[in-house]
Amino acid sequence: MTLKLAIATFVGAFIFPFLIRLLWGKMVENWGAIGGWMAAGFIVGTTWLLNHGIGMINQSGKAWIDMAWAAGTGLIAASVYSGDKFKKAIPTIACAVVGGVFAGFMLSLFL
Amino acid sequence: MKHFRTFLGYAIAGMFVMSVWGALSDKYGLLGGWFAGLCIIAPMWFLNHYLGIINNENGAAFVDQALGIAIAGTMRDVFLAGSINPLVQSIPTLIIVILGGMTGGICAAAIQKDMAKEAVITANESKELNV
Repeated sequence: MTLKLAIATFVGAFIFPFLIRLLWGKMVENWGAIGGWMAAGFIVGTTWLLNHGIGMINQSGKAWIDMAWAAGTGLIAASVYSGDKFKKAIPTIACAVVGGVFAGFMLSLFL
Repeated sequence: MKHFRTFLGYAIAGMFVMSVWGALSDKYGLLGGWFAGLCIIAPMWFLNHYLGIINNENGAAFVDQALGIAIAGTMRDVFLAGSINPLVQSIPTLIIVILGGMTGGICAAAIQKDMAKEAVITANESKELNV
């Protein structure tokens, strides 16, 4: 990966949790559950266009690094920064790891 | 049960995103990918975070369904290849994406704090004017 691509990757990854953290909750506050559906299209869908549709996040290898890595880790970091406890979240993180590995394995059975 | 439903939430979201999304964008291009965001993430969010089958305790750092999705996508390719070589090649991207993501998240939280502070100041000022 060249420096140019690395910088683009960093910024693409920055944008995704940034938008989720600032907008998603407000959209739900304003519009109720429909706000979450709007957010799925206009935050996740639109940011996907940038990061994966046209490729702002460069893939250095064959194992897919989704922008979800940015959201997952970025939202935990934002939460810890705002005073929530990381330690208390460890069981949930463990479930995410087990669930993610299970899902990846299931997909490898037929894809 | 609490951990089992949390596991299920992450696993189901991971399976949908890392299979159907690519199929939609392969077939319908950019609009297919955008629509995949809406038609996959919206119901998964409703299930996992609005209805709340993923257990996020009060006062604990918030773990989004994205973490399960991210791991599912990377591990899918590791299992498909039957080796960790693809993951080793992808480590540069992984590290940069995590660093970028954490910077973005913290930056957003800092902005929220700053704007909340301003809102308090404005509220106090308007109180003083009323007095």
